[in-house]
Amino acid sequence: MNQKSQIKRWAATLLMSLCCLMAFAQGKNVTGQVTDPNGEPLIGVSVQVKGTKTGAITDFDGNFRLTNVPEGSTIVFSYIGYVTEEARVGGGNKPLNITLREDAQSLEEVVVIGYGSVKKKDITGSVATVDADALVAVPVASAVEALQGKLAGVQITTTEGSPDAEMKIRVRGGGSITQSNDPLYIVDGFPVDNISDIPTTDIEDITVLKDASSTAIYGSRGANGVIIVTTKSGQEGKINVNYNAYISVKKLADKLDVLNAPDYAKWQYELALLGANSQEPNPSSFTKFFGNWQDIDLYNNVDTNDWQDIVFGRTGTTFNHSLSINGGSDKMKFSFNYSHMDDKAIMQMSDFVRDNLSLKLNVKPTKNTKLDFSVRYAKRKVSGGGMNEQNEVSSSDSRLKNAILYTPFPVAGLSDESMSGGDTDPDFNLYHPLESISDNDRRQRRETLNLNGSFTWEIFKNFQFKTEFGWDTYDNDDNRFYGLSTYYVKDKVTDTADKQHPAIILTGTERNTFRNTNTLSYDFEKLFAKDSPHHLNMMVGQEYIIRKEREMTNTIHGFPLSYDADDCFSLTTQGHAYAVEDYYSPNDILFSWFGRVNYDYDSKYLFSATFRADGSSKFAEGNRWGYFPSAAVAWRVSAEPFMEGTRNWLDDLKLRFSYGTAGNNNIPSGQIVQSWQSVSTNIYVNGITSYWAPSKTMYNPDLKWETTITRNLGLDYTLFGGRLNGSLEYYWNSTKDLLIEFPTAGTGYDTQYRNLGKTENRGFEATVNWVAVNKPNFGLNFNANISFNQSEIKSLGIMNDFTAASGWSSRITGDFLVAVGGEVGQMYGYRNDGRYEVSDFKGYNTTTGQWELRDDVVDSSPIIGTLRPGSMKLKDLTGEGLVNAEDQEVIGNANPVHTGGFGMNMRVYDFDLSANFNWSYGNDIYNANKIEYTSTDVTKYRNMTTEMADGKRWTNLNPDGTLCNDPAQLEAMNANTTMWSPYMQNYVFSDWAVEDGSFLRLSTLTLGYSLPKSLLSKVKIQNLRFYVTGYNLFCWTSYSGYDPEVSTRRKTNLTPGVDYSAYPKSRSFVFGLNLNF
Amino acid sequence: MRIKQYIYASLFLASGALTSCDDILDAPTISSTDESFVFSKYDLAEDAVMGILNSFGEQNSYRGRFLVYYGMNTDMEWWGATDKYDKKSELCNYSPTTTNGEMNTSNNAWAKFFEGIERANLVIRGLETYGDMNDPNFRQLLGEAITLRAVYYCDLLKAWGDVPSRFEPITSETMYLPRTDKDSIYVRLVLDDLKRAEDLVAWPNETTVTSTTERVSRAFVKGLRSRLALYAGGYSQRADGTIRTSNDPRLAPEEMYKIVKEECVSVINQHCNELGEFEETFRRLCNDNVEAGHESIWEIPFSEGRGRVLYNFAVPHDTKDAHTQQNQGGDLGPTPIAFYKYDPQDKRRNVTCVPYKWNEGIQVPGEISSWYFGKYRYEWMENRIVTSDNDDGVNWLYMRLGDIYLMAAEAVNELDGPQAAEQYLKPILDRALPAEKVTAYLAEATASKEAFREAIFEQRGLELCGEMLRKADLIRWNRLSSTLEDTKAEMMQLLNREGKYADLPDEIYYQTVTDTPKLESTVWDSEIFPNETVEIYGLELGQTDAEGASLGYVSHDKWAAKDDWEDKIIGLYVNNPDDYQYWPIWQVFIDNSNGVLVNYANYQ
Repeated sequence: MNQKSQIKRWAATLLMSLCCLMAFAQGKNVTGQVTDPNGEPLIGVSVQVKGTKTGAITDFDGNFRLTNVPEGSTIVFSYIGYVTEEARVGGGNKPLNITLREDAQSLEEVVVIGYGSVKKKDITGSVATVDADALVAVPVASAVEALQGKLAGVQITTTEGSPDAEMKIRVRGGGSITQSNDPLYIVDGFPVDNISDIPTTDIEDITVLKDASSTAIYGSRGANGVIIVTTKSGQEGKINVNYNAYISVKKLADKLDVLNAPDYAKWQYELALLGANSQEPNPSSFTKFFGNWQDIDLYNNVDTNDWQDIVFGRTGTTFNHSLSINGGSDKMKFSFNYSHMDDKAIMQMSDFVRDNLSLKLNVKPTKNTKLDFSVRYAKRKVSGGGMNEQNEVSSSDSRLKNAILYTPFPVAGLSDESMSGGDTDPDFNLYHPLESISDNDRRQRRETLNLNGSFTWEIFKNFQFKTEFGWDTYDNDDNRFYGLSTYYVKDKVTDTADKQHPAIILTGTERNTFRNTNTLSYDFEKLFAKDSPHHLNMMVGQEYIIRKEREMTNTIHGFPLSYDADDCFSLTTQGHAYAVEDYYSPNDILFSWFGRVNYDYDSKYLFSATFRADGSSKFAEGNRWGYFPSAAVAWRVSAEPFMEGTRNWLDDLKLRFSYGTAGNNNIPSGQIVQSWQSVSTNIYVNGITSYWAPSKTMYNPDLKWETTITRNLGLDYTLFGGRLNGSLEYYWNSTKDLLIEFPTAGTGYDTQYRNLGKTENRGFEATVNWVAVNKPNFGLNFNANISFNQSEIKSLGIMNDFTAASGWSSRITGDFLVAVGGEVGQMYGYRNDGRYEVSDFKGYNTTTGQWELRDDVVDSSPIIGTLRPGSMKLKDLTGEGLVNAEDQEVIGNANPVHTGGFGMNMRVYDFDLSANFNWSYGNDIYNANKIEYTSTDVTKYRNMTTEMADGKRWTNLNPDGTLCNDPAQLEAMNANTTMWSPYMQNYVFSDWAVEDGSFLRLSTLTLGYSLPKSLLSKVKIQNLRFYVTGYNLFCWTSYSGYDPEVSTRRKTNLTPGVDYSAYPKSRSFVFGLNLNF
Repeated sequence: MRIKQYIYASLFLASGALTSCDDILDAPTISSTDESFVFSKYDLAEDAVMGILNSFGEQNSYRGRFLVYYGMNTDMEWWGATDKYDKKSELCNYSPTTTNGEMNTSNNAWAKFFEGIERANLVIRGLETYGDMNDPNFRQLLGEAITLRAVYYCDLLKAWGDVPSRFEPITSETMYLPRTDKDSIYVRLVLDDLKRAEDLVAWPNETTVTSTTERVSRAFVKGLRSRLALYAGGYSQRADGTIRTSNDPRLAPEEMYKIVKEECVSVINQHCNELGEFEETFRRLCNDNVEAGHESIWEIPFSEGRGRVLYNFAVPHDTKDAHTQQNQGGDLGPTPIAFYKYDPQDKRRNVTCVPYKWNEGIQVPGEISSWYFGKYRYEWMENRIVTSDNDDGVNWLYMRLGDIYLMAAEAVNELDGPQAAEQYLKPILDRALPAEKVTAYLAEATASKEAFREAIFEQRGLELCGEMLRKADLIRWNRLSSTLEDTKAEMMQLLNREGKYADLPDEIYYQTVTDTPKLESTVWDSEIFPNETVEIYGLELGQTDAEGASLGYVSHDKWAAKDDWEDKIIGLYVNNPDDYQYWPIWQVFIDNSNGVLVNYANYQ
């Protein structure tokens, strides 16, 4: 495709259309004022002489002035949100004062749906929207954040606290198991990978399509919902300039308490004794670092480092400003937006910069043609490696543990060595918290450029042809540095010369997508009589999308020891190139036909049907085409004559039902043939630098579309003149022929993509908006939504269940269970049974040096290790007296029972106040941090959190520095302790580490003040508002970790809700202004 | 007018329709290629052969899993852990469960061996279809692929018995295959595949490719064919649980011995490999010296930073020191009685059985129950020092000339009698024992076919201890259970100081060698590390506590503390080993098999 010449041609067309002229005519002058029913002047009302091009816009006082208006002509007053009025120009010179009525029902509002738009009252599917007002009122970094808690059926989780944290979006649960459940994102008609790069100030509105009758028009990609973002276009009228700016300051929201210095030393002593299982005081593994027990008092006054404060304690700041200019005539409208964000995060070496630029032009060269053109450019830079990463080499490189468990005071031989050269005691295996950050440094730079153009031609009345071309380029550089303390350098760098030297991996991803869509639509208005209650329109179209991807990975080892990340990135020749892999993915091509018919009878009985046929290059001939039909009916009950009696309070009541199918081809391309790949990493044999092998994923020529059937029942209501409105929805989605990456180990390949299994999602959603008060100087409204979703795996093909590992520790395997009858996100582990008391033992055997368990007491030693009083006790589910791998069961579920949000907006004179809350109820969190911070596993010398403080944890330590093996004394010593002993051979995932993740968060609280208009009009300013917003001010939760909204193990879909080494969340205050002139 | 506009619009749509044929949806792969390209170019085809080898090294494959556990426990070797019920021990003491924590992972050796087989099958098909079979270089590659496939099968058949038979690349129809009687796989490997491969590959040092022990040579193909023939012709547990030889006349013992004789004798007579000194072979191994022509015939070529040979097998270093920055080793070792099976003058004894480990840079004696394989020593690395935490990169010595001699001796004895076989046993003894002891030994051994068989039984144990071949030998001789029973009894004798151990001292006495060791002491280093090497008195039969105490050494009274190791002896085998000659197919593979794989009755 020659996209460049295409763009040039269009640019020329646009230039010509800029030269169009305004026409003038002769007549009299008309002036007047436009006000609302309260007498307040309305600014920016379009005042137009009907049938001509003469028009004006009301000024700050609502006044307008038209010149040369022929007598007897009609003037049209239109204003968004108000009912359009007409007035005839009389003979005199009396000012024409008009009062516009609010269009309270907003039912005439147009909602964007796939390949078109529809009036809100005519919607038959399940569609939710958020408009610009809601987005701009609260300053957030991205469009996704703005949606959080605002839409029923859309669950948005901020996975951690870093400035570039991934936001997980699920529309009605998601049907896939191993594959992504991300919705399809469409920005101005163009499918994109994510919408986090779009500043909220650019957005006109966001629509979420939830049921198949709405998403089926997107066919193959609509199964997990569709999020449609429409960016701002120019408005007809005077040039409008908006400037928004804010600064924010933020601090770490919460800290975990760790043992103080004397307690740390005391625990190290007991741990050393337990490790040696010795009666002798002063075991060498303690004394070599900490001296003798007799001198332990020295640690009472030692200075300690608050590592969390050192790593996350800085005050983060954000500066964000945006400028948008828009305006235009009826011939040409434009909108230009620029925004810049600079974020210094709370964590050392972590920051974030983003720039966005966009330009949109809408031209009407002739009466029946339209040209639209838009450019969007975004650039994003993220510095710092965060606390963990999804494509990690090993979870042992996760950083948070260093900030929690590192020695609280300098210990010669433990903490000092590790600062100088990446060596540490192997049993300690921690690194200086700042070193671990700098050794895992990372720079990410992403640039996206999106060009869209469309040409619309109304060939004859009501018959419209539209062609759209789009080109999107995505360019991502991910530069990852591995310092000496990283597992990568210690283990994966195998050449002797490069061992124990810094290494880098540079990954560049380039992705280009081209799209062409052609649609024909026709409104059958002409076929029916002028006042006929029948309305029928239809649309047919065709679309072609091709996506090309290339990934270039350069791995360089053996940099000079003194090099840090920036040195390595800028002086790559100083290392040794280890691997260069330039990988071109097979193109991903989608070719589609689609069509839609909408019919209504008097806006009372509504019907719509869509059909889409998608051909995908991911499937082999014969399976390529997927067909996705859907239909919806709606009945506006309130329009029936028998509802006459309710008209005074019931404005609208609509019942809708839809049924339809949507598809999914969310698998990597190139699965239908087995090809040979050259591999130059993970080489286990001598003498070669690369080898050829077939992919470890077996090809499958029989792959076909995954299909989701949705059934949706909805009720929309509007009461009391629009003061109360909302909707209720029930849905039942079933997904079959799931595309699953199926384990085939043992055949010669690890996995194969297959179509098998079935899942279901059922749920209920409710939304309500209530305008409680709407007076000139006082307004108050509330909104709330709630969503319930329940999913179930109905079938997994030939399997009944399989386990998945979150992988935070290599010693915990299979901690999630995917099973028929269950759902994705079931945590699988042991049941905690407290601890072994002295009475559980027969006694201490001095010959063997072991405590002997009573025969009737369950033996947890296969999991916990050698038992003694105080050891953690697990439940024996199988009843054979021994706890082993068989005694695991489902102990938690990451899926909430319901989620939602509610908010309040209030205005009093020139002040406005808004509060937004969001919640999640009934989900569990797998607190892996807690396990790591309270058990020894095989490590030594690590600190712990205060759950295991002296007095809480079981102690085995006699005051004279010996291990207590006297039953009575041991029992007495632990009379007041509640926790087990942290000493155990392995990390154990038990239900103790599964916590209720329910929370209610005051996500934002904003107080704003707008300067009086009367004052502003003197300096030609339309609006100037100052505000202050607090983020994350309160979070009511019983969760003991940093934040209950967390999900850090996202490499597979199968392990949600794990809190391990998450970047902690911050609390922030924003001070900003909105300026409009 | 309107008609015209309809036509315009239709044209626009038609432009889409024209491209709507299915071709538009073809998306060929770009950064990968197809067989015809790979296998018509020598360099690419060679890299595809390397892809077969790579499966040995994958995590949880040969490296770190199969290598460590298969071969335990025998009269010569045992697993060093103390807890007889733990997941590692149960792999060795004949009581594994299908959900064993070490093995029941989808990337286990079982899966990776079949991955290697699939890669070999693809390479063989590719080379046969697109390779130039008149070119000796291509012929070498084909021979290597066929041989590597046989290596994978050899270990699969040993460890699991009947396994799915895959000699063609997988298709949708052959995705799931049930177990095949292992006899049919042996027939294919011994009578067909390896016979064919022999003629395809070169002798060691005949070509550049075969100048290293990391590539397959004709000597290796012949040796492997012999090893497989001995397994095929020997006893083993069958699917119904009985133990017998094959009913297939093609695998009759005599037929198999003929092959062994022919192949091994031809390797010996080719003189392309030399026995050399016993210790030298293992020093070479630890030094990554892969020059062909010495004793080593083929090694699994673990790359420098991959492979866990020393990591698991070596004399352990508890702490990092000047010899290694990896404090590992000693997960398994010789049985405590192995040391006493050797003649005290047998040069193989102190190379093979080591009673000390390294701590803080010096050798210190451990416990009687934990001997270590001295064939694998970090301290023998001269050119590099291991720094990785996980891997040492030393190759696995898969086949050496000593094994070929012993196989030849065994086969010739069976076919032609002990006098004819003597010449193949003698070189092994010559390099181990003083001449007069060799003569005496051979005189006894050649008395009868039966006596020679016993000599082979003994010498294979002494020669190959720690090379993980013993268990399979005991099985094919149908002596697994009886030998382990005897071993348990003999260890109890050692524990209780009975029988030949009645006069062993109660304690051992040791010191670090500063200059030269005393004559009374035993030392395990042929080249002393001053201030590191340990000398020990009290391990040899006939030594006394009285003399020990008089030497002025440190006494080590914990060496043979009874309480500590009686449980280990009892745990040598938990079930009758003959009932558990094979491991179960791990549960994950049973679950993934679409119901076609079933474990033998004792694992159900």
